[in-house]
Amino acid sequence: MIHIIDAGNILQYREEMEQAYRLRHQVFVDEMKWEDLRKPDSRETDQFDDGRALHMLYIQDGTVLGYQRMLPTTQPHLLSEVMPELCEGERPVGPHVWEWTRYCVARAHRERGRALSPIANALLSGIVEWGLASGVNTIIIEMDPIWLLRLVQLYFRVIPLGLPRRYGQGDVVAVTAAFDSRTLARLREMRGDNRSVLAPSEQAARRALS
Amino acid sequence: MSRKGLDQTLEFLANVERAQTAADVCGALLRSVKAYGFKHVLAGTIPIPGSNKRQQESHVILHEWPIGWWDRYFSNGYLFVDPAIRRVTTDITPFLWSELDPLCRDNPMASRVMHEAGDFRLKHGFTVPMMTLEGDVAGFSLAADRIELPPYARGMLTLQMTLALGRTLRLELNQHEAERVGLTDREREILQWAALGKSEWETGEIMRLSEHTVDKYMRDVRRKLRVTSRTQAVAEGLRLQLIS
Repeated sequence: MIHIIDAGNILQYREEMEQAYRLRHQVFVDEMKWEDLRKPDSRETDQFDDGRALHMLYIQDGTVLGYQRMLPTTQPHLLSEVMPELCEGERPVGPHVWEWTRYCVARAHRERGRALSPIANALLSGIVEWGLASGVNTIIIEMDPIWLLRLVQLYFRVIPLGLPRRYGQGDVVAVTAAFDSRTLARLREMRGDNRSVLAPSEQAARRALS
Repeated sequence: MSRKGLDQTLEFLANVERAQTAADVCGALLRSVKAYGFKHVLAGTIPIPGSNKRQQESHVILHEWPIGWWDRYFSNGYLFVDPAIRRVTTDITPFLWSELDPLCRDNPMASRVMHEAGDFRLKHGFTVPMMTLEGDVAGFSLAADRIELPPYARGMLTLQMTLALGRTLRLELNQHEAERVGLTDREREILQWAALGKSEWETGEIMRLSEHTVDKYMRDVRRKLRVTSRTQAVAEGLRLQLIS
């Protein structure tokens, strides 16, 4: 299940957030070799991990197996502060646009070759379910262009914000990806499960908000 | 320069979103890349070694490829010695065929495939590896006898080729969905009249049916399309190309 953690409930998730920062370090530093992010305590955190960040954790039996972070575009985020060169036109900003970063799944749970694993699917479904309930319909993504095709296949409407640029060994392109109920239906069809991926408390809270 | 590349890509995206068939997608892509000399397109997932000609051909998703070379390539199992295919399955970065020379060295079959491709005016090419949702590796090549591709254009082409393949795969999905919906000819005709703004009474007059019968058909159409209103039914029918 996906748990959504923000400034309001982060104290109740202290242990899980510790696991999340360690998972980020394992995946992005140890595995993908983003050496700039290396931390002596093996917890990967940055200036955006503050009150406005929304953390989405895939938790199974108390263990964090997947993670992603959403940042509001109405405040400083990676595209505005760290990689502005990736956006060559007008930068998309607004309450309906959030930036998707630090998406990762624990190594042992990325099964079936390179196909979308159930946890990866749940994380994406989490964004779409949360977005549809909160008035968010577009995410900004900085990614290797090789993954673009998958987003299109999942009924995200993808629009490039600039051309790919080389960072170290790989290429990175910034795009917006808009989604709707069709995207959710497609993700659910792929998962073979029509139920919400959000933990029950989240669903209740989201319903109350909407 | 880059902003121009982005603008061209956005213009291409608008064109390819209008494409209704794989051939439309190929046409839009070739128009967009002809300035660099490209004349041919081949895109598909990579078949497992030992597949026969028919199995290999079934992996092709988009093509505008010289037929003579197609036959020779798939009949002779060239795919399994083609250095471009080998590179696609081992490295995710896009490449020019001229960069494959190291893979051809000491490999006479690989050199032969590249050399014979030249006889079919496919001397130069640009290939982009992609990853499908199902986890398959796809290769997408543009080729011609002569090309001129400035380094800054590679990223732009990578995006356009990806968007082209994405559009094609979505068109295939829509088609499967349309088949699953399974509207009868009569239901489709009624939906078509609705799209043209005819009321159920008017449709009944045109088709020589009672208003009640048209209403019943329309209900079946809404149920099959899983929508609740006429407007939604028309929108879904247009999207799935059941009507025009």
